[in-house]
Amino acid sequence: MNSTDIQIALCGSAGDGTIAAGDILRNAVAALGYRVICFDVYPPEIRGFGKCISRVRITTEQTYALKRQSDLLISLDDSHAIPHAGEVRTDGAIIYESKPVGHCPEGSHMSSHILPGQIPYGIPLRELAEKATGGARSRNLVVLGVIAGLLGFSPVPFQKIIEKKFAKQGPAVVSRNQAGFQSGYDVGVNTFKLDNVFCVPQESNPAAGKVVMLSGNAAVVQGCMDAELDTFFGYPITPATTIMERLATAMPKRGRRLLQTEDEISAIAATIGAGYTGARSATATSGPGLALMAEMLGLATMAEIPCVIFVSQRGGPSTGMPTKTEQSDLNAALYGSPGDSQRIVIAPTNVEGCYRCAGKAFEMSEQYQTPVIVLLDLYLSNRYETVTLTESGPPFTLNANKPLRRLEAGESYQRYAFTEDGVSPRAVPGDSGCMHVVTGLEHNTLGRPNDSEEIHTAMSRKRHDKLLAALHHPDFTVTKRIGHSGRIKVGILAWGSTFGECLEAMFMAHAEGISCASMKVVMLSPFPVEAVTQFMDDCDQVLVPEVNYEGQFAQLLQGILARPVVRLSRVPGSPMPVELILSEIRRLAGVV
Amino acid sequence: MTLMEKHVFVDEKLQEVRESGRLEYRSRSLPTWCPGCGYFAIVEGLTHACNTMGIAADQAVVVSGIGCSSRFPFFVNLFGFHTRNGRVLPVATGIKTANDKLTVIGVGGDGDGFAIGGGHIAHAAKRNVDITYLLFDNGIYGLTKGQASPLSAIGLRTSTTPFENPERPLNPLMMLLSYGASWVGQAYAGQPDHLREMITQAIAHRGFSYLHILSPCVTFDKTSKTYTNLSMKVRKLPAKHDTSNLMEAMQQAQDLDNPAVGLYYQQFRPTLSDTFDQVIALSAGEGRGA
Amino acid sequence: MVAQVSSSASAPHRYVIIGNGVAGNQAAEGLRDRDPQGQITIITNSRMLFYNRYLLPELFREHKDWRALLAHPAEHYEKRRIRVLRDCWVTSVDSRKRQVMLAHNEAISYDTLLVATGGRPYLPEELAECRRLIHPFGSYENALAVRKALPENGSVVMLGGDMIGLDLARTLLERNFRVVLVTHENSFWPHQPVGDERTKFLAILEKMGIEVVDGEAQGGVVAIEKGASGLPDRRVRFRQGGDIYGDIVMSFYGLQPLVEFMMGSGTDIERGLLVGTNLRTSDPHIYAAGDVCQIWSEKDNVYRFYYGHRNVRAMGAVAALNMTGGNEHFSTTQDEALFQNEQGHIDSPFWAYD
Repeated sequence: MNSTDIQIALCGSAGDGTIAAGDILRNAVAALGYRVICFDVYPPEIRGFGKCISRVRITTEQTYALKRQSDLLISLDDSHAIPHAGEVRTDGAIIYESKPVGHCPEGSHMSSHILPGQIPYGIPLRELAEKATGGARSRNLVVLGVIAGLLGFSPVPFQKIIEKKFAKQGPAVVSRNQAGFQSGYDVGVNTFKLDNVFCVPQESNPAAGKVVMLSGNAAVVQGCMDAELDTFFGYPITPATTIMERLATAMPKRGRRLLQTEDEISAIAATIGAGYTGARSATATSGPGLALMAEMLGLATMAEIPCVIFVSQRGGPSTGMPTKTEQSDLNAALYGSPGDSQRIVIAPTNVEGCYRCAGKAFEMSEQYQTPVIVLLDLYLSNRYETVTLTESGPPFTLNANKPLRRLEAGESYQRYAFTEDGVSPRAVPGDSGCMHVVTGLEHNTLGRPNDSEEIHTAMSRKRHDKLLAALHHPDFTVTKRIGHSGRIKVGILAWGSTFGECLEAMFMAHAEGISCASMKVVMLSPFPVEAVTQFMDDCDQVLVPEVNYEGQFAQLLQGILARPVVRLSRVPGSPMPVELILSEIRRLAGVV
Repeated sequence: MTLMEKHVFVDEKLQEVRESGRLEYRSRSLPTWCPGCGYFAIVEGLTHACNTMGIAADQAVVVSGIGCSSRFPFFVNLFGFHTRNGRVLPVATGIKTANDKLTVIGVGGDGDGFAIGGGHIAHAAKRNVDITYLLFDNGIYGLTKGQASPLSAIGLRTSTTPFENPERPLNPLMMLLSYGASWVGQAYAGQPDHLREMITQAIAHRGFSYLHILSPCVTFDKTSKTYTNLSMKVRKLPAKHDTSNLMEAMQQAQDLDNPAVGLYYQQFRPTLSDTFDQVIALSAGEGRGA
Repeated sequence: MVAQVSSSASAPHRYVIIGNGVAGNQAAEGLRDRDPQGQITIITNSRMLFYNRYLLPELFREHKDWRALLAHPAEHYEKRRIRVLRDCWVTSVDSRKRQVMLAHNEAISYDTLLVATGGRPYLPEELAECRRLIHPFGSYENALAVRKALPENGSVVMLGGDMIGLDLARTLLERNFRVVLVTHENSFWPHQPVGDERTKFLAILEKMGIEVVDGEAQGGVVAIEKGASGLPDRRVRFRQGGDIYGDIVMSFYGLQPLVEFMMGSGTDIERGLLVGTNLRTSDPHIYAAGDVCQIWSEKDNVYRFYYGHRNVRAMGAVAALNMTGGNEHFSTTQDEALFQNEQGHIDSPFWAYD
């Protein structure tokens, strides 16, 4: 065995430090050179005793989604963890508290729920924490130590991260927490290992570039910063808020401006205002906020003003399920504006894609003078992955504006001049002699209101045709086919975060000898008709898995291509189960 | 003093206007407003102000929403952004945030500002965005042909209040004063010289300046805010009015029967731009530590 | 076997078995056969499922993974609906409430309880202080530690050689390790050959290649120490002043029944739990089977232990029958004498395993 692929699930009650432990774990293993994908699930309430789960998949090779089964389950609260005991695979292990405080009603202790094929490790976590730190609070660090010891991870990166994390609270707190970790580590190292969960020690990462651990939202922020975002306007909404929060720290340090506005309408309005001046500007929201932005998005389309909108979807409609993931804002992103208001919509499929899409969104928005919506979802926003950043600097163009021509004497500047590619050179306030008015009214080339049939037809064509060039935008993956080439039995067409699950299912199907391939569609508007058609031509059957009820992407496909597809639409509030996709692949391939 | 009081000869007037240089700020588009509309005086006032202050035409942006007033940008030769109903202030905030050097003037009617866009005013005022907001109050929705607005007088018959408007109007000056706007003034389109002076002062103010302009709609309001009525009612603020005294300003603002024109209140405090600079400075300090 | 007892549908009968050895597992299988609805729970302090400890010497042959030792694969327990609570320590039994108390403060309720905890290796008090320097051989984990600690062709000093030790010794010799046996009065536990017979068996041991040291002649072992540098890792000192060296030291003084947790339960205990031939203790809801119990012997008029795999398995079966309303009696079928096998090696019916 020379590669690693394990998944650890930490489960506890809010306040147990579950998510914090997951955070330390993922950063430590990333520092050890592993590839990491993580996703935390926590309750919408800030306080209370809701369930928190942090899942960390640690691998040698790049993977695309979490696994359904975990190799290790760590229980910091049996009442929450017991329902997840079944998630642990045979010969995997469950680590739990062997000396809980107080009476434990019959059946409430993890030991009664461990399946015969799973390995129980009852560890006196509380007792170890108390001995090492004088209190039970650091149970989460003790358990991290146990994991590290059991799996043979070097304790060094753990201790470093603990030091960094608690540095602000002073050296006493740091050493106390390190002692907690160490006491668990000693137990882990000396625990007789019965499970078969193994990690092959990782050489320092050979990949070119810098490997960093980022959440989807953090990757968006990194992409924004690398694309030199000038201004950001936002209104808090789960699960997009952390984009604004991270930018609020990052932007001022680079002398840039961020404003928390009074609502999403003003957020998009200000974003458009800033975009109008030539600045790179963005906002971030979720479905309900996108709904409020719809009107102003139409203005940006009509007035041809660059702006970037990050939309992280959650369960809907209305307030819906704020802390549950869903892909049900596709229609709103594509169509949510009055009039013929096509805009560019792109949806990354993984964390690295979040980075690239964020940066490229600014390029496209400038180059095609149109709003660009980057569609994420809660699962993608909040999941962590190791991402390789190129050493040679950000792969983004910092000025994608069409050059402005010097005006002839007596010539009036035509903001909306017809050109071959439909993009008119854009003057912004401050450009000498180029005063003009941009408007949400239909207008002529000068920007003057005009509602004649000729103008409205020509301008509508201009606003739509100019977007087609985005399908060939430089250094941007519009679609990508992965898997078997040539004729295949089952083709999986997917968008957004679900693509990771599709790939995992596809690789499993490959192992079963099923001929299949997957295509991710990153650009949803304008739609890559040619590439998708070619792919569908190769497939006996096309499966479209997506996390929404209506099958919005399938509808889009069928509307444009008028071809049959098999829908796999589910709304579990969590990522699409890989097994479900796999069983559909099997069914379509005629394998039972 | 009105134009009626002395003879004016067209040739002389044209020469005076051309020499003044303010035509530079007028666009070639002719205003689409009804003859006699108060808004003509506002265009005149703004071009005068720009001219007086020496603002370069390509360094100023006029932002408007929707309504009769919001056609304004088309009639001046400045950069203009004709946006959506009620969104003047957030768009202007975005523009000013992105480019401090620009002179940003928001224009809009009473419906645009106090109905659909009402939520934004408090926040622009609170943040002290360094923009000027010219609010054209004709007490009616003109462009959509005469419906009631939040500033319509009680008892006004409009197409949506055919049995008289039952609601009392808002008191915009009171609202702006309590929101903490750092410059609050009122002018009357029937007094163009004073209006021009007030616009100039409002633009010159560093911070959020709100100028409420009483301006008759000659087409849809024949009974309430007419030139006749307003010319009788409008008064000047007392000479001894203390513009730094908020309570005194509020007291004056209570008088809706005899609206007073002039500068109600002015305060000097950090603008949004200043607070951005402050955040950037603070973050630099933290940056060293991290 | 036809089910003779069945739990009522509304409340399945709760059978709890403490101990995960031969007796406990045999009983669990019997209970399942007899009561398809019953709820069967095995409680064990081991983290492993049931594996046969008789097979531990195999570790010194080609053994690779502990799973190979398991009596049944994990699925067996799911199929048979036998719940195994592993890594759980029983602290006491409350026979009045009919509850088994666990160290993590959970009480497991039973309708009928079977105690089948077996025994732990006995260590004489005078050696208690040296415990850390003695390699135990009670579990898979122990056995693996021995294998790890033993260098190639290394030497093992065995203090005494009960039937578990002698079985291990046979395997170690086969694998070219050196085995030194220090005798004591219980060297052939649980057999008790005396006089000439003992001498005969000691001679056989020597013939097999075991170096026999007469521990009693040396006045017994008084201490075990770390060997000085350059010498093997362990030094065993005798009262008379002599010493011997070995890479590891193991002790084989027989087994001691594991009954401490039953002390407050009200059941009769001598050295083990006292049961009749129906394996019921003095508490009608508590049974015992295996090395933990002393069974009334009509013939000897005494409560006595019966060792060996076959005996223990038979006890598990009888207990299961009686716990489900049967009326069976345990009687040993094993010949208990040591003998010399065809290879000329010492052999015991206790090693028979089938």
